[in-house]
Amino acid sequence: MSAPDLAEMLAAIVGREHVAGAGAERSAAAVDGILPRWRVRPGAVDEVSRILALASSEGLAVAPRGSGSALDLGMPPARVDVALDLSRLAGIMEYVPADMVATVQAGVRLDVLARELGKHGQMLPLDPYGGASRTVGGVLAAGASGPRRFRYGTGRDLLLGARFVQVDGTVTWAGAKVVKSVTGYEIPKLLVGSLGTLGVIVEATLRLHPAQPASGSWLFPFPSRDHAASFVAAVLASDLEPERMAWLNAAALARVGQEPSEAAVAISVASVAEAVASQGGALDALARSSGGRVVALDEEFWPGMNAILDAPIVVKLAAEIRRLSFWAGELQKLCAHHGLTAAVVGEAGNGVLRAGVTGSVLSQDWAREVVSPLRDGLAPEGGSLVVERAPVELKHAADVWGPVPEPALAVMKRLKAEFDPRGILNRGRFVGGL
Amino acid sequence: MALSPAFLAELERIVGAPGVVSTLEGRLAYECDMHTYYKGAPDFVVLPESTAQVAELVQLCRRERVAIVPRGSGTGLIGGAMAPVGGVMVSMTRMNRILDLDFPNRCATVQPGLINLWLSQATREHGYYFAPDPSSQMVSSIGGNASTNAGGPHCLKYGITVNHVLGLELVTGAGEILRVGGKAVDAPGYDLTGALVGGEGTLGLLTAITVRLLHVPAGVKTLLASFSAIEDASETVSAIVGAGITPAALEMIDEVFVRAINEGVGAGYPKGAGAVLLIELDGPAAEIEAQAGRIVQICRDHAALEIRVARDEAERALLWKGRKEAAGAVGRMSSTWILQDAVVPRSRLPEIMREVVAIGARHRLVIANVFHAGDGNLHPMILYDDRVPGELERAHEANDELLRACLAMGGSVTGEHGVGLDKAWSMPLQFGDADLAFMARFRRALDPDSIMNPGKLLPSHPACGEGFRPAAPRLPTGTWV
Repeated sequence: MSAPDLAEMLAAIVGREHVAGAGAERSAAAVDGILPRWRVRPGAVDEVSRILALASSEGLAVAPRGSGSALDLGMPPARVDVALDLSRLAGIMEYVPADMVATVQAGVRLDVLARELGKHGQMLPLDPYGGASRTVGGVLAAGASGPRRFRYGTGRDLLLGARFVQVDGTVTWAGAKVVKSVTGYEIPKLLVGSLGTLGVIVEATLRLHPAQPASGSWLFPFPSRDHAASFVAAVLASDLEPERMAWLNAAALARVGQEPSEAAVAISVASVAEAVASQGGALDALARSSGGRVVALDEEFWPGMNAILDAPIVVKLAAEIRRLSFWAGELQKLCAHHGLTAAVVGEAGNGVLRAGVTGSVLSQDWAREVVSPLRDGLAPEGGSLVVERAPVELKHAADVWGPVPEPALAVMKRLKAEFDPRGILNRGRFVGGL
Repeated sequence: MALSPAFLAELERIVGAPGVVSTLEGRLAYECDMHTYYKGAPDFVVLPESTAQVAELVQLCRRERVAIVPRGSGTGLIGGAMAPVGGVMVSMTRMNRILDLDFPNRCATVQPGLINLWLSQATREHGYYFAPDPSSQMVSSIGGNASTNAGGPHCLKYGITVNHVLGLELVTGAGEILRVGGKAVDAPGYDLTGALVGGEGTLGLLTAITVRLLHVPAGVKTLLASFSAIEDASETVSAIVGAGITPAALEMIDEVFVRAINEGVGAGYPKGAGAVLLIELDGPAAEIEAQAGRIVQICRDHAALEIRVARDEAERALLWKGRKEAAGAVGRMSSTWILQDAVVPRSRLPEIMREVVAIGARHRLVIANVFHAGDGNLHPMILYDDRVPGELERAHEANDELLRACLAMGGSVTGEHGVGLDKAWSMPLQFGDADLAFMARFRRALDPDSIMNPGKLLPSHPACGEGFRPAAPRLPTGTWV
């Protein structure tokens, strides 16, 4: 089918005003500099279905997107025909506060949802970096998470059910709309973090949590990484129950306007007021015995951490929890060696670090002397390094995902071959060229 | 050579002769799980001791197109660990070691046959425990828990098994040794760890599981509140959750059970109560004190007859004893019952409880209820006497009606027991053809020749919505009764 015909078909599905084949709207939907032929904004699940059916029959490459904040994630695509913009699918379909469950469309923004849930004293504890303007579907598909995962888990723990559209347009449901269900395979878990490569999430049923009546946040700066690490270990070995526990290095502290120190740990506690006060006191005592001090923070500190990752390169490192401090140091050191500054922030209780990296580096050096040594070192403990954002030349120099061991990769390839044999959905952007 | 003497010789070569059960009386011990209605003995039972042996067994069975049925402790309630079409049952009871305890990383790696409670016993003195606590935890295995994605009273706050599994080693139906996840989270690629939990042995055989350990909470507070009417208790549940409190457990015990438990276990639940709520809070002392105060007030506002707060561990154990031994206590009233595990949205509890009573009356059957009220997971036990003609059939009808009523309210077929053979037929009530076809294709990617636990989890013909439902138990050749 010719390009004008395809444009007409897309317009017939979503309406002419929701197909951008030129102009700024289309340009803004570029993925790693690759312009889509059309940016298409469906307003209903049925429209998503018809777009994908068309894409399948015409062999069009589709890149689904929500707010666009995770478009940097993944390898550069060879081609994008349809940027499938889900931001108009923004309905809160079902919300029964007494069930603590909400079913929302994929394009609902986290901040919009938070306002609605807040009216009933509830929340969705997904706080990915990149801010509250991100969409539910995008956050789930990208497997994004933030500091609150320490207490509440990630999308895999909060997504109870999902409606998704398979590549041929088949609208499919998986999971349940109740907080507890083991009926059938855990397909929702397969979708979380799959970057839309197996199907496009259009609706999510989410487990909610009560917002706590009181909270407190503190920053504990330490003279060295070792001091901070011993504090983290002490908190983890205690019966304290923090909500968030973030690791920050000196560069990260500078980005959030805090006084410099070699390493710091930011912690929040959410509970009844009495428990916030008593846990705050206990944390203070632990920090002092680990050679640290305490700075009171307000709740605004947490969204403010987004500034740390506002950088041209963002890497995510996952390791054993007890090795977090070591890897924070390695990351910082290897970057510094090549004139790069790494502002490191991490989920200290989960073994996850991210760094916003600034400065310029040769592609070769990046691949061989930063990424490779870190991956080699992380492999024995099952850790990983994902380059979540980087200029295209760096992405080509070092696979952003890193290796996936066999036979896991073979199984993933079989799944992709089963559910998207022609590679319509985000082809080439996911692990192992999937 | 399938199932021939040569096949038996191969099994013996792989696991050693003592690791193979081939006698009739030996195999009959494996003919069912705790759902004794479904019987089917395997042709052979093998008890491997290593992942390598498991892989070799799967490769052999794949080559010979012989069905494989995994089995942990056999405490499942869904007709999962039984062999409706015969084949080889792989029992994991000899793979029961703790491979690694790693407190700084808050995790443990265990073999699938390890008993659930043993892990918490091994870690508690270090201040940690394994959160999933199915009531079978004294005997059920962690491999079985992960395969069925088991729950338990405390999953209201802490989630079901999948929320505690960090990594797996699984021999797929294709015979590969697949290692996914582990101590480091967020491995790039699809979350196979999450997607493989709850596979009920239809995707492969678990050979090692890395699970999260939680720190033992600073304090625990257990309350028991009795009500004259179950409606009041149901509304109390909603009010507690509505107040922003997430108890560790929130269990409902109905009148029938209160009576049975008092007579059988002597837990001393308030006599004449129409319903009892068992409420447990855990966490920092200041938090649970404040929440307990609030809960007492909520219970009073909902006309509680009596509220008890356990003062020490002994009192707490006594309050729980009745709940944990409920199924046994009911055995005094009836030796045969059907246990339902469907879920409703929590807000529909009062409504579904009225429906349960109506269904029981309609079929002239006693339905006893003890369940996880906090998450809407019902466990009605439909009591019947199989010596009374027609009573079993009525019980089945009541069970089906109950399940349909839960689904009509937006619920789910199973909250924590799993699907197995028992509920495979009902999958089309919750899922459409496309949904089931997606699951079937997922299964095929892991088990290309359909040798893994056939007949379980998915209806045999998803398209026409008909599942395998044995009219009569299958008896092995040569059995005489």
